[in-house]
Amino acid sequence: MKTWKIGLVLAALAVLAGVPWYGSDVLVQFGINALLLAVLAQGWNIIGGYTGYASFGNSVFYGLGGYGVAIAMVQWQLPFAVGMGFGVVLAVVFAVLLGIPVLRLKGHYFAIATLALSQVMTAIVSNVGIAGQNIGLVLPPLNNDPLFYELSLGLLTIATLTIWGMTRSRFGFGLIAIRENEEGAAVMGVNTTLYKVMAFALSGIFSALAGGIHAYWVTFLDPASAFDISLNVKMIIMAVFGGPGTVLGPIVGALTLSTISEFLSSEVTSIAGLFFGLVIVVAVVLMPRGLADMLRRMRKMGWGYFIENIRAHRL
Amino acid sequence: MDLLAQILVNGVLQGGLYAVMALGLALVWGVLNIVNLAHGAFIMLGGYASWYLYTYLHIDPFLGLPLTAVVMFALGYGIQRGLLNLVIRAPMFNTLLITFGLEVVLTYLAQLVFSADFRTINPPYAGSSLALGPLVLPVARMAAFAVAIFLTVGMWLFLLHTRLGRAIRATAQNLVAARLYGVEPRHLYAMTFGLGIALAGMAGTLYGTVSQINPYIGASLTAKSFAIAIIGGLENPLGVLVGGLFLGIVESLTTLYIGQTYADVASFGILVLVLIVRPGGLLGRTT
Amino acid sequence: MKALLEVRNATRSFAGLVAVDSVSFTLAPGEILGLIGPNGAGKTTLISLISGTQAPSAGEILFQGESINHMPAFRRARLGIGRTFQIMRPFPGLSVLDNVAVGALFGRGGGQPKLAVAREHARECLEFVGLGKIIEKRADELGGPDRKRLELAKALAMQPQVLLCDEVMAGLNHAEIDEVIDVIRKVRDRGISILVTEHVIKAIKSLSDRLLVLHHGEKIAEGTPDAVLADPVVIEAYLGKKRA
Repeated sequence: MKTWKIGLVLAALAVLAGVPWYGSDVLVQFGINALLLAVLAQGWNIIGGYTGYASFGNSVFYGLGGYGVAIAMVQWQLPFAVGMGFGVVLAVVFAVLLGIPVLRLKGHYFAIATLALSQVMTAIVSNVGIAGQNIGLVLPPLNNDPLFYELSLGLLTIATLTIWGMTRSRFGFGLIAIRENEEGAAVMGVNTTLYKVMAFALSGIFSALAGGIHAYWVTFLDPASAFDISLNVKMIIMAVFGGPGTVLGPIVGALTLSTISEFLSSEVTSIAGLFFGLVIVVAVVLMPRGLADMLRRMRKMGWGYFIENIRAHRL
Repeated sequence: MDLLAQILVNGVLQGGLYAVMALGLALVWGVLNIVNLAHGAFIMLGGYASWYLYTYLHIDPFLGLPLTAVVMFALGYGIQRGLLNLVIRAPMFNTLLITFGLEVVLTYLAQLVFSADFRTINPPYAGSSLALGPLVLPVARMAAFAVAIFLTVGMWLFLLHTRLGRAIRATAQNLVAARLYGVEPRHLYAMTFGLGIALAGMAGTLYGTVSQINPYIGASLTAKSFAIAIIGGLENPLGVLVGGLFLGIVESLTTLYIGQTYADVASFGILVLVLIVRPGGLLGRTT
Repeated sequence: MKALLEVRNATRSFAGLVAVDSVSFTLAPGEILGLIGPNGAGKTTLISLISGTQAPSAGEILFQGESINHMPAFRRARLGIGRTFQIMRPFPGLSVLDNVAVGALFGRGGGQPKLAVAREHARECLEFVGLGKIIEKRADELGGPDRKRLELAKALAMQPQVLLCDEVMAGLNHAEIDEVIDVIRKVRDRGISILVTEHVIKAIKSLSDRLLVLHHGEKIAEGTPDAVLADPVVIEAYLGKKRA
């Protein structure tokens, strides 16, 4: 990466880190939400963007992370950090046990199987006593939004650095090879099953940590909110909008879309949802490879970029 | 024993409805290779269409079915021709996403226009039922079941014995085949999508006569339809019918023996299992 | 000489159709074995059975005397079995260099963990096949002949002991075929055993030490190129059907 790019990223990080000092409470709260969504988008980026497996079940990891924290703190009176660790363990176990069979599926089948898994998890957790069944769990409150904000930012930074490191490692190359041509990757020596499960687990770890922070922050967790299926879609849209399979794209996508939808939802809630849907539809038609690709190629092609995309994919 | 028989009857009646829900999804998936995540939202729209027809124009939901079908067909035709056709050759993930976007748009539009209140289509016969020995057979459910069977078998005959039906089946194998039947591919795709949406709309009508509708029912209906299409396979409407009946019965039995809250676990658990063991569908071709 | 690769009665059927029917042969170290036969004779299937992308219905594949039947494809790659695909499958979104670097990062013995070293090795392989000037291009921007070369470079970067070449000459003109033949000879000079499939006989005749003929999935002849191509069974089954 060029020096000025690194400088720009560091400057952006400093501006973000300073928000609790100069920003309003509302901005900090918005920031926590947006940053956690960005972590989810980055987590999805690993399995969906880099490995090419469009998981619609990452909300399961988020929910497991939340329940890890909630169960540890409420039922066992353990500290928050232990709960985060517990959530990560749950996510990894889930990724390995279910990833092995489900990651054999391709395309639509994988997407829908993961979607179904997230539905199953909601129903199962609603029946688990230690998780408070469908009533949920109330966590001990901690009124320290700046702390939650910096935790979220720290997590996003770690996730992004992990991905950056991944793109220059053998592991990352293996994942990209799987995305581009799985059989071709296997005959070149990539242990595709192991790599896919590892990518799924890594993606799950970040999502679980985000879920853990969120649960402690909002101090309440029930199956419907923990395994919120629309969250799957949000993270995917954000990653795809920004540029799946790029290091910074999903962050840009998450922060942009969160900001816009925050502005709209202060007007009318249902319009914000409608807007989200329209963005998806328009983005898929006009910029199917995300903001990053659009910015790169529009410099050369101008508006023709959009026409080219449509021409390439219509019948 | 009577209880078990009653539960099985309920499952079968519900299963017929499920089959119609899944029929359109399977058709569109098989022919256009689009998994339409907005399918459930179209079912929801069909439900509202019938609710309005009944509440304001006093058209009986079953008599209004053709009208709902025509309106939904036109909507589906237009959406395929004007929107989905723009991304039909894009990678599968993009088509999946765009139909998801469509689902969100339809859901929120429904919330704006119809409000979030629960609606039920309540024709005079809604509460009445027939008794057959110890069994209770609700009239509305029986009618919905009969229509479901009629539509499924009708669909099957249509695909087998009409020129358009044969063209659609051939196109599922190979797009060029459409031209051999003298049908322009874009038109054929739009006709197929329109048919799928018309079926979704009619399923919505049937759903509205036996359950409550609100703008948010779409997502779970899509998931259920998907499960049925996977179990039944994409090739044959009769396979979908079997898939629907199977899921209806499994859900009823789960509710009886394990508990209401596990009904979804059962259906989606079966879906995941079937996907893993036989991705071509339980009744579909082996690959 | 001890065989590096041995195929014993390999059989593969798809839904009742036998694509490869009890084929046996050996491949010695440093040997070039030509596998010929008309389209649909089972050549690609046989290569898939060896590289592990398909499992045999019956029979056995041995590498250095040990059965590799139950070994997944990636393990076979790490043992030193490299292959090219007839239907060329580069990693379309990656640069030519990184396509080949994947082979160096994984490949025989588990490959090279350092990206910079792997890229350096990839660059050498690309020079070797004559693609040294276009390493920054995206793989999906290459034309047919360059894709064939890329397939070879990807497999070579794995540092294989056995190279399975599936129709690397199909669709090339005479000059290009000569170049590929030259590259394959140079690969062999490095001590790598090579199995080449082809349905254009002329190209493969001069290249191979031995020829093996498949017809409807069965081995109908095996021996020196001259002997095999003079075999009346081969001529009737494969070359001279329209004359007969």
